[in-house]
Amino acid sequence: MFSHHVTSLSSPYFHGELTAAEDHRVAEHLRICAACRGEYEVVKAGVRTASEIKVICAPESVWVQVASNLDGGQLPPARLWFLRPLAIAAVILLIAAVSLLLLRQHSADPKPRWNVARVGGLPRIDSVDIGESGKLGVGQWLETDASSRARIEVAAIGEVEIDPNSRVRLLETNSEEHRLELARGRLSARISAPPKLFFVNTPSGVAEDLGCAYTLEVDNDGNSILHVTLGWVSLQLTDRESSVPAGAACAMKPGFGPGTPYFEDASELFRAALLKFDFSGNPEDRKSALATVLSEARARDAMTLWYLLRRVDPCCRPAVYDRMAGLVSPPPDVTREGILNLDRPMLDRWKSRLSIRSDVPAKKIHSLWKKLWTETLGRIHGFEGKQ
Amino acid sequence: MLFEAYKDRVYSVAIYSLAGNEMAAADVTQQVFLKLMTRINQFRGDSDFATWLYRLVINACHDEYRKRRRFVSLADSFLRTPARGDSPRARYARKELCGRVQAAIGELKPKLRWPILLKYVEGMSYEEIAGLLGCSKGTVASRLNRAHKALGKKLSHLKDQV
Repeated sequence: MFSHHVTSLSSPYFHGELTAAEDHRVAEHLRICAACRGEYEVVKAGVRTASEIKVICAPESVWVQVASNLDGGQLPPARLWFLRPLAIAAVILLIAAVSLLLLRQHSADPKPRWNVARVGGLPRIDSVDIGESGKLGVGQWLETDASSRARIEVAAIGEVEIDPNSRVRLLETNSEEHRLELARGRLSARISAPPKLFFVNTPSGVAEDLGCAYTLEVDNDGNSILHVTLGWVSLQLTDRESSVPAGAACAMKPGFGPGTPYFEDASELFRAALLKFDFSGNPEDRKSALATVLSEARARDAMTLWYLLRRVDPCCRPAVYDRMAGLVSPPPDVTREGILNLDRPMLDRWKSRLSIRSDVPAKKIHSLWKKLWTETLGRIHGFEGKQ
Repeated sequence: MLFEAYKDRVYSVAIYSLAGNEMAAADVTQQVFLKLMTRINQFRGDSDFATWLYRLVINACHDEYRKRRRFVSLADSFLRTPARGDSPRARYARKELCGRVQAAIGELKPKLRWPILLKYVEGMSYEEIAGLLGCSKGTVASRLNRAHKALGKKLSHLKDQV
């Protein structure tokens, strides 16, 4: 009985990596073998230790250096002793990649469709129940009723969960752009791709993914509200744009487009006044709402005030400047006059002082990444690029 | 989101694998993301992106380790008190990293350390780790088992020290 000790299986047993039969055998053996049980306790102590490994935030200087190296065209130094095997590997890789590409091109669906999985209830595509799963083609509507939910696989770049009482349509999917329309209801998106590849149209504006996770809700009147949980999302309607960071939200209304972003932990009074300022047609109401916004603003709300600098009437701009300067001092080379004249470099320098993470290096990297991604991965995944 | 999702994890894996050397980990992270940007066209799309990325990380860490081994024993430098020239940030990071868990991880042999880091930082399955390290699932299980035991024993040893 003791000839088949299970000490070597302790870790996979703990992690649930064994087959059902093995798992049962280990459990039974541990019950009767004190030696193996002792070893298992040591492994469990090791697991507890390892479980305390924490993710450490990389210093910003890393990304600045990466961005500047990319700008300067500096590549990582070549390691000479790798050159020969690397060349051989490169040839093999090239042959494999070309073969794969050809294979994919031959087998590629000329009309890519997205996989849809039922999460609950009876989701429908073009009024037909999908059962456990279905395919969403360009132009097709996916609808959920009060008791149904669905999950859409967005090409190879992420997934979108559709809540009950929602109606979404696939508008476009190719290597340059994946676009959904949310006519009503709510979706939650998690996108693992370079920015500006995934878009959601709503009746009040467009949500553009800048590398993020978020929820977007549209009511029956076409009003939208965006909540960002990771990264950034840009909301746009014609020439009006709001970039919304993680932890912030932003409303949109048909005809107005995106309002002003705000952090969700701002005071109720602040948020209500901001809504009135953004969407009221009455100039007096807007003026009094602005006064409330300014008086209620905390240092963290300087992000909102930064947007307001460009959105208020020129006569109100000094008040916004003064309040914002009282919350977050402008850098030494940023002048009051420059800000009141909406000098863009000065506005950007001040923005970099706010407690929002600097996104400049990331933006540079993202643009290069997107180029590489769309040129290479897009083709590999069978999408046709613009070229 | 890929960039956002991986940047801190790449740095974390590097800092643990290089025994808490913050400067070396930053170098490795830069190298990895530069390679990523310039070589993404080598990614064939038939393997998981994380697998491909961590292959870059492992190679970069090995290179860095070789480079620095000539000058100083990493384990020694990690366990010593901070050098006088260290910045407050470096001292803070070192203090954090000198915790019992980090020290224990840093003392593992590389072949035991990698499965641990991939399992606990990236949350990979045994099969994914095996694919990345180019070994069998059984080998991964065995290495994790040895690593866990070593950590379990080191933990009690460190408790005694405290």
